[in-house]
Amino acid sequence: MTVRKTHRTPLALVAGAAALVTLAACDGQGTTGTESSTGAAGGPIKVEASDTACTVSANTAAAGNVTFEITNKGAKVTEFYLYAEGDRIIGEVENIAPGLNRRLIVEASDAGKYQTACKPGMAGNGIRGDFTITGGAPKQADANARKAAATKSYADYVANNTAALEEQTGKFVDLVKAGKVDEAKAAYATTRVYYERIEPVAEKFGDLDPAIDVREADLEPNQQFTGFHRLEKDLYVTGLKPDSPQIADKLLTDVKDLVAKSKTLELTALDLANGAKGLLDEVATGKITGEEETFSHTDLWDFQANVDGSKGAIASLRPLLQERDAALVSTLDKEFANVQGLLDKTRVGDGYKFYNQLSQDEIKAFASAVDALSEPLSKVAEVVSR
Amino acid sequence: MLFSSALIGLREGLEAALVVSILVAFLVKTERRHALRWVWPGVGAAVLLSIAVGAVLTYTTAQLSFEHQELLGGSLSIVAVVFVTAMIFWMRKASKSIAAELRGKMDDALDVGPMAVLLLSFLAVGREGLETAVFFYSAVQTAQSDTVQPLIGFAIGIVAAVILAFLLYKGAVRFNLAKFFTITGVLLVFVAAGVLGYGLHDLQEAAFLPGINTLAFDASDALPETSWYGALLKGIFNYSQQTTVLQAIAWVAYVAIVLPLFLKPSKKTAPVPAAAAAPKE
Repeated sequence: MTVRKTHRTPLALVAGAAALVTLAACDGQGTTGTESSTGAAGGPIKVEASDTACTVSANTAAAGNVTFEITNKGAKVTEFYLYAEGDRIIGEVENIAPGLNRRLIVEASDAGKYQTACKPGMAGNGIRGDFTITGGAPKQADANARKAAATKSYADYVANNTAALEEQTGKFVDLVKAGKVDEAKAAYATTRVYYERIEPVAEKFGDLDPAIDVREADLEPNQQFTGFHRLEKDLYVTGLKPDSPQIADKLLTDVKDLVAKSKTLELTALDLANGAKGLLDEVATGKITGEEETFSHTDLWDFQANVDGSKGAIASLRPLLQERDAALVSTLDKEFANVQGLLDKTRVGDGYKFYNQLSQDEIKAFASAVDALSEPLSKVAEVVSR
Repeated sequence: MLFSSALIGLREGLEAALVVSILVAFLVKTERRHALRWVWPGVGAAVLLSIAVGAVLTYTTAQLSFEHQELLGGSLSIVAVVFVTAMIFWMRKASKSIAAELRGKMDDALDVGPMAVLLLSFLAVGREGLETAVFFYSAVQTAQSDTVQPLIGFAIGIVAAVILAFLLYKGAVRFNLAKFFTITGVLLVFVAAGVLGYGLHDLQEAAFLPGINTLAFDASDALPETSWYGALLKGIFNYSQQTTVLQAIAWVAYVAIVLPLFLKPSKKTAPVPAAAAAPKE
């Protein structure tokens, strides 16, 4: 009555098993696992397991993915384990039948002492062997050391630029006070370069940055127009005014103050990352629009300086970034080079074209190159704070 | 070499086939054959999925971290326990309704959704499918480069497991309905307890739960998993020679709670009339 249907049950099971066999057999033409690269240098570590021994071909490996190729030469089914300290299982393969090769890929990211174990008969504590993972993901201490190295290196960069800033500002102020307008104009852009390179640092000191670098368009009500841009207006537009010398003196005082304060500044790696990005934002909002140097049109000098400063911060972070995200570093290199290439095209003698000499197409090209660089730069902070 | 691979195949095959064969017997026995068509998609999906994932892990550089693999197996096992437990009580309900009215009531009790049948089949096969598939691929690779014996052994084991599951099914359908419910129900209680312990053990191995090295007992010498009887025990009841305390507690607790509930006599445990017994072949 129901015999036929009853038989469908086992038949289907057998068919299922047969399908499994067939399918897997068809797949056999693929690359064998032994050839697949796993990032471990020197290929997989061979483990020869028998009923009484567990021979591991290497007892150290670099951190990362470690591949073991286990062959069971014994008569008993065996297991292979990789233990971290305290017998924490990092990885295991069970059911290694006699004659079988099995592969175990483990991710061992921490340097330290490990143990390999074969368990013939899948029982007991197994035949242990010591195993060492070297190098590897930086321990927090290493990361901290790298961050310290980065901030130290950037501090040197800042110190070099602030020293130059103080010296150049002194000369520029003297020219202004002596009424030498043409020479002061010539010194204006080249002095500002040192300021623009380290602008994120300057911004750390509350009122100093506005006093030195405020633009006329951004003045708050009742705020006095001082600093570089006030002198820029005097030199390029209105001619020197009676209070220009005082403004010049104040500028030098503020700059000296800034330089003194920057020596005591404790920056973090994250500050560097944010600063590198901040400088590019400055370019996008101020220099590409021509708003920064609205009287002198020397925006491209500032542009170059901002890019240099951003590069300086990234250069300091480079070892850390290289370790954590090498792909990001090469993207940054490429985009920096792209922006620099465009800047180089606008070079005139020792300087650059003035902003009002740029074509719309050139400005567009700058804008898109800066955007393309901003994108990877915005990822740096995340990588640094990992 | 052949034998030990065959035992692995037998064990893994039984783990998958046992619950499925009881389910099938149950559906056949209670004249719910139309639900059978939901069993095979569940089994098929689990097998195909295991094969596909196993292939990806074997032939590409993709990998599943050890923890994730154990978490997956362990979680699926625990979900499977929930389903098997539901099945146990569903059977109990069904067996009680037999005495009352053989048909009408039974239809209600057994009105289980196709989805439940499908999922139960899927979980029964899928929970260990990946590990088995990966084992299978390595046997295939070894066969290409070295020796074909493990592969043959594994295939023999799978076939033996299928035959055993079939025999179990044949045996089960011989019993009269009431006996069938009791026997398969009790069997399932122990199976589910084993699956629960096994799943917890996986989670302990993944360090998701503590106490992997706190053993309740170690019967590696007395009752090794590598012996044929050990393999059978493992295949059917998920016996493990090194049982952790957590595993043991879970097993005992499950059996202590579910078994009495299942066997608890209902108010009228009228012996099943002979008419209800399935005709002997």
